[in-house]
Amino acid sequence: MQAQRPKLAAITTVYRKYSHAQHIVDRFLEGYGWNGAHHHPPMDLVALYVDQVGADDLSRNRAARFPHMKIYPTIAETLTCGTEKLAVDGVVIVGEHGNYPRTEKGQVQYPRYQFFEQMLTVFRASRRSVPVFSDKHLSWNWQWARQMYDSAKELGFPFMAGSSLPVTWRIPSVEFPAGRRVSEALCVCYGGVDSYDFHGLETIQSMVERRPGGETGVKWLQAFRGDRFWEACRQAVWPLDLMNAALARSHTLAPVRAGFNDVFPTLDEMRRLARNPVAYRYEHEDGIKCTMMLMDGLVRDFNFAARLDGAAKPFSTQMYLPMPDGRTTLANFFSPQVNNVEKMFLTGKAAYPVERTLLTTGLTAAGVDSLFAGQTRVETPHLAIRYQAAAESTFWRT
Amino acid sequence: MIRPITRRGFLQAAATVPVLAQQAETKRIAVIATVYKYLSHAQHMADRFLVGYPFGGEWHTPDVRIASLYVDQKPPDDLSGQRAKEFGFEVYPTIAEALRCGGSKLAVDAVLIIAEHGDYPRNDKGQILYPRYEFFEQVVKVFEAEGRSVPVYNDKHLSFSFEKAKAMRDHARRLGFPMLAGSALPVTWRLPELELPLGCEVESALMVGTGESDAMDFHALEAMQCMLERRRGGERGVKSVQMLEGDAVWKAGEEGRWSKELLTSALSRSDTPQGLTVTDGRTQDLVASGEVRKLVANPAAYFIEYRDGVSATLLMLTGAVGDFNFAAKLKRVPQIQSTQFFLSPVPNVTYSACLVHKIEQMIETGVAPYPVERTLLVSGVLESCLTSRARGHARLETPHLAVAYQAPKESQYCRV
Repeated sequence: MQAQRPKLAAITTVYRKYSHAQHIVDRFLEGYGWNGAHHHPPMDLVALYVDQVGADDLSRNRAARFPHMKIYPTIAETLTCGTEKLAVDGVVIVGEHGNYPRTEKGQVQYPRYQFFEQMLTVFRASRRSVPVFSDKHLSWNWQWARQMYDSAKELGFPFMAGSSLPVTWRIPSVEFPAGRRVSEALCVCYGGVDSYDFHGLETIQSMVERRPGGETGVKWLQAFRGDRFWEACRQAVWPLDLMNAALARSHTLAPVRAGFNDVFPTLDEMRRLARNPVAYRYEHEDGIKCTMMLMDGLVRDFNFAARLDGAAKPFSTQMYLPMPDGRTTLANFFSPQVNNVEKMFLTGKAAYPVERTLLTTGLTAAGVDSLFAGQTRVETPHLAIRYQAAAESTFWRT
Repeated sequence: MIRPITRRGFLQAAATVPVLAQQAETKRIAVIATVYKYLSHAQHMADRFLVGYPFGGEWHTPDVRIASLYVDQKPPDDLSGQRAKEFGFEVYPTIAEALRCGGSKLAVDAVLIIAEHGDYPRNDKGQILYPRYEFFEQVVKVFEAEGRSVPVYNDKHLSFSFEKAKAMRDHARRLGFPMLAGSALPVTWRLPELELPLGCEVESALMVGTGESDAMDFHALEAMQCMLERRRGGERGVKSVQMLEGDAVWKAGEEGRWSKELLTSALSRSDTPQGLTVTDGRTQDLVASGEVRKLVANPAAYFIEYRDGVSATLLMLTGAVGDFNFAAKLKRVPQIQSTQFFLSPVPNVTYSACLVHKIEQMIETGVAPYPVERTLLVSGVLESCLTSRARGHARLETPHLAVAYQAPKESQYCRV
């Protein structure tokens, strides 16, 4: 137990309605629904950096309403609260949304690595490090991501990262069965490359990392897009029964026929609905094969299915995102993510291994690379990342 | 390459189907509907028997086929003719003919009465006069004439009138056919998976609902009832009800007639707070901030006093949230128990597949998975609440609502 409430700093790209920073930082400031109460995190977010302040900025509004939180013009000043030394007990980096240039491969160059490096400078100068959470993938650039991971190891601070998909509600509410071998796993989801593909990869990884022997890393990846995606379906490059099982978990299957609200499409009908699908097919070191599928136009949710050894039917569930706009007003999947991060700030231990996100960061970049290289198979010896899953389940069940 | 997989799947499936099941004949059902148009209850529920539905991780194809259909109203966007043509059944001009499939004898194995939506008048209490009782009476007439009955599902409340609702239940008892009814809320997924322990002692309970009367308040009342019926001693019925509206709802809260703590807990489950969340995305404690009062133009409180002394309140808070959430305080359990009844997005409304699965279960087994008395009681509670409103929000004794039943031991909500 810490004697005092931990003080936190948040380093963000943009703080506007429904930006990740708004979802995450607001939960520290305003509290959020948790365990049947309105929960106020037992810690104070006292310092905020916002990289881009536009007309729709909310950070000034929040600073006015929560006077204990000060906005600083630089990351160093934020972390030191305007003093000479690191003055917070934890750091939240939210480098998602905002206007940043794209690479020639189409990746948005969110400055997560740059934010992280500036933070390290303060840590080193202060000869003290504190726990850090970095939202989404570590960086669009694999080398930078690896460097972030290595620096955290070197300085020895607890480090968490990633998507909310691994920790949100599951419908049904099931954990990957302990000790069960798995040969194939996939996720049917939606969204774009270098964006929601990462969420789909984290969905799969948060499940298969629990297989016997733990995670062993990934050997190769190949992307399929458009016509090649459908050709791969025809050739059963990935198991169609698992794809169908995942689709049967969806609550948003686009009705293929007028007048019907919930029909299961044939492969040809899927092709009419999902105009430009993308798949990343990859193999782990121990032989398990996984497929992440973005099927925009067909579904608007994240559905997981796996073939477990000795099971007659696929194992499947939906990682449920109560997603605004339209379906909900609150993106409450950020609540379990913030809650897990809170635990790290209270205990000094990451609730789940950052190696998961290091691996999915590398897979996202490999997917982008494969697409850029004409959907060829890319070898990924750099992704021989081994780790053990957290013993306890960390997804939302209460 | 697809073929071998499909073939293997087929062979595996064939190998596991018991010989008996293979020989059993596909069950035939009659659907008696008010209207069959896109997103009407009849369409999204009956269609599931035509095109299958998602359940338990697969696209389930019921071994049940629609043999006949009756629709009371055919607006320009009617789909009944198209469905009949495509799926090979007849739309009959009367309920009796639908049940006999145009022949001289009862020719179906079950009847689905889906009388929600369509253009029907309201009475002076604001209830929509859906002809569920009238449909049911015609079904019963055929059963009586034939000396044979089959299982009946009745969608939503039994009738706007408790007297008629009770007559429906009594017919089912007298003729001895299985009867299932009600809303999808009791059987949909819950976030989180909360079930009150059978035999628990309830100190107080509160449900938050949203939407119009007398459609959405019924759903909310039934959701609350499916939780509370599990309390110690089983259900013994309702002693009195009162409905309040407007400022009187908040005043009742100040006076402790409903618990702010329970409301806070119920709202902590919501994914759809309005107001400042819509403005700038923020999370809110709507009760502590007082925002809830600003957001609800016309709040309504439905107070229910059970015969065993337990009190429960439904707050219809249209404008504050858009989902259905429950909270209860149990004796000797410090933490408030709360959950959201998950209504998955339109148009798929996959929660209705959870209900259709229960209907299918009754058709296959001949046993209703949960008692129709739940819906009977809720039909009566709703009617009496609306009577209270019509009589100047007076508290009404409800001796006629001494409806007693036992909750099923097994949880009936979807966890697969």
